Amino acid sequence: MIRRKFEHTLDDLYETEGVDACIIYRIDGIPITVRTPRDSAILEVMFWLEKQIKHVLRNMDKEGLKATTFDFKNHQILLTPSSRSTVLVTIINPQAHQQLISIEIARAKSIIHNCVS
Amino acid sequence: MSERVKSGIYGLDELIGGGFRKNTVNIIHGGIGVGKTTFCFQYALFGLNRGEKVVFISFEMTTEQIIRDCNELGLCEIEEHIESGNLKIIHIYGEDLAFPPISLVDILKENTPDNDHCRIIVDPLTHYSMFLDDEKRKSLSTIFQSLRDVGTSIVTLEESNQNDAINNGSLMPLYLSDTVLHLDNLGFGELFNRTLRVAKHRGSKHGEGLYPYNIESGLGIVILASEHDINKVTPTSEFDEQFIAAIKQLGNIDIVGEKLAKRIEKLRNDWNHSESPEYILDLVTRNEK
Repeated sequence: MIRRKFEHTLDDLYETEGVDACIIYRIDGIPITVRTPRDSAILEVMFWLEKQIKHVLRNMDKEGLKATTFDFKNHQILLTPSSRSTVLVTIINPQAHQQLISIEIARAKSIIHNCVS
Repeated sequence: MSERVKSGIYGLDELIGGGFRKNTVNIIHGGIGVGKTTFCFQYALFGLNRGEKVVFISFEMTTEQIIRDCNELGLCEIEEHIESGNLKIIHIYGEDLAFPPISLVDILKENTPDNDHCRIIVDPLTHYSMFLDDEKRKSLSTIFQSLRDVGTSIVTLEESNQNDAINNGSLMPLYLSDTVLHLDNLGFGELFNRTLRVAKHRGSKHGEGLYPYNIESGLGIVILASEHDINKVTPTSEFDEQFIAAIKQLGNIDIVGEKLAKRIEKLRNDWNHSESPEYILDLVTRNEK
């Protein structure tokens, strides 16, 4: 079933070393599927994201950007639109292997795109 | 657990503790074209096909329009039920509620069986809110109580785009109802564009996610909850030993402990988390000492 594939994709990404959380948001800022630890720092980032996502996506669309990164004190947030109405957000720690994670995100993005479109 | 009335929506009952609680008012809230009336058809037909009585109060569609729409959706048995008398469709123009005022409570009393539980549908209540002044809107709580007295109701309500929704009274039904299911359609035609969210389900544990759905011919609304979603709302017995130990310990303390033990028993029956209840049990025990 599509939903299972969707969930497994997120589980796989979440298990990648250096990934602290991954969330799929709808473009209106509503979280669809969430993989996060019980961590107040991540929760704060999520509150911030819910408020910002609409504006960030609007600007990304205007500037023709394929992905956007935000650097916080202890986290890096990667926003990758995964379809016309969804965006994959990956929260990683500073020690994460950037190249490995970018490959994993590209893979997850492609699967999510196929599942939802 | 209180008696449940099945919704007839494929995939919904698992997310709301088995169905709607009997003798409650349940609101289907959403914008245009999200499937609110389709929801009503399914709710009605699920009961009708099992011999239940249904009263459908329509402020929008005539009986002919309802039959036509049901037939086009593939829910063709609707005519049989109208002929058998099990389905009563009452079509009222919204303006008839104001000039001169028609009482919804009287309509309910006249058309519902005396001692038999029945499924009631009000589609949509939006007209009612629109045509009533502030004073009469306050009568909504009386109407809702009358609905509860005669059966289990589904009331559809158009989502308000007005900024002063609190003042214009369109939020009032949401406060008064027992359940609010919010349907949404983003309009890109992708999975998760049509979604259902359980905003409120009084006295029940319910799913807290965003559940995608499709409207399928011959079936109506089908909710595509994942195994993960369903597991999150299904009670687990994995931590029974810890609960039993805590209940035993509390039961031996004093009268407060006995009362608390009963509550912990309820917590045990509803526990649907994958984590151990150890922290909560410890916290409660310490606080209640």
